[in-house]
Amino acid sequence: MRFVDEFRDPELGRALAAEIASLAEPGRHYKVMEVCGGHTHSIYKYGIDDLLPDSVELVHGPGCPVCVIPMGRVDDGIAIARRPEVIFTCFGDMMRVPGSEGSLLDAKAAGADVRMVYSPLDALRIAKQNPEREVVFFAIGFETTAPSTALTLGRAKAEGVPNFSCVCNHVTIVPPLRALLESPDLRLDGFIGPGHVSTVVGARPFEFIPADYGKPVVISGFEPLDVLQSIQMILQQLVDDRCQVENQYRRVVPYDGNLRALEVMAEVFQLRPHFEWRGLGFISQSALRLSEAYADLDAERRFDVPGVRVADPKACQCGEVLKGVIKPWECKVFGTACTPERPIGTCMVSPEGACAAYYNYGRLAREREVV
Amino acid sequence: MSDPPAVCSHEVGCITCGDTAVELVAERVDEDRGLALCADPEGRRETVEIGLVEPVRPGDRLLVHAATALAKVDAA
Repeated sequence: MRFVDEFRDPELGRALAAEIASLAEPGRHYKVMEVCGGHTHSIYKYGIDDLLPDSVELVHGPGCPVCVIPMGRVDDGIAIARRPEVIFTCFGDMMRVPGSEGSLLDAKAAGADVRMVYSPLDALRIAKQNPEREVVFFAIGFETTAPSTALTLGRAKAEGVPNFSCVCNHVTIVPPLRALLESPDLRLDGFIGPGHVSTVVGARPFEFIPADYGKPVVISGFEPLDVLQSIQMILQQLVDDRCQVENQYRRVVPYDGNLRALEVMAEVFQLRPHFEWRGLGFISQSALRLSEAYADLDAERRFDVPGVRVADPKACQCGEVLKGVIKPWECKVFGTACTPERPIGTCMVSPEGACAAYYNYGRLAREREVV
Repeated sequence: MSDPPAVCSHEVGCITCGDTAVELVAERVDEDRGLALCADPEGRRETVEIGLVEPVRPGDRLLVHAATALAKVDAA
């Protein structure tokens, strides 16, 4: 038996859904935000929203690593990728994120040496195999991915790989959550906390949400029963008039996180004063750059990059989707001009993006019928 | 039900971009290099950084993201 089977038991799922329905107060509407794109993906892949009572609404949050990359950063990457001496490496979905003049995949089609890698370690391996070329790794992701980049940069430094460098776009999860909670147009009752980010940062950084904003948080795993149980735990807190951070994903998330990962990150990275998030604008101290100790591995210092802010396309409403203000299908270009094959906005690129999740699991037809 | 393989692809979707982590079992451990050869339930193997979760022993279940073990999985 696969280890995951026990977290996909349909009977237990239905029992949890019934419990959620019994906890929901008649006449009250609950809005629960799943912070992480991985949860969005699970919810639509397994039809979890179909099991919930109408009074419990799931709102998609900003935790999709690809979705939050602004166009200007993509343009910076493409400018480096076009240099003849460069082998440009990045994760798969990142290749399809549109910049102002196309994506990295378009740059590859036009002759740039852009290669997909599964991990930063793969990029370092390419650098060792190609000592006559400059190998640049375009790092994206939340605290889940940042330790991997940090370890690889540590290896590059220790082993002395002079032709390896990194464009660091790593972001942190707490600042955008705080920005969302300050947003006047969004009313939420609780949060499904990001499980994989929490394996690194722990549950403690989310304590400000109940303390400062009075909303419950449950750190959740990604299997269907994990998500259903987390929703049940949030509603149970509301019924009990409790408000705290609970950890449903205790099988992998220690409350204090992975201290060794946090130490490695603190050595390799430092906070940027500001960083632009797609659709959310500039958020203070919400992203990482390489620390001075690793400055010689910083591709932004090694190469000239445009560094220009590019406005999102007017038709694109990724910002409202990322803030949970509108549903993906309410965007004017959803499923017409913007599809996973030809995305206009980042939320349609990654399967974890709310728009792509809706599109890929057949929500387009269902929601249109409802309208 | 079998999950798709742990791949990073611009065609089928990238698990690394998606902030997804997968559970793998350590098969061989190279403590000096901080690496372990790990396998998923279908027998697909990959080399994984284990510096953040050491010590690792063969048979340990690891939660892996971007070829880095972030946590040991406690099945209890």
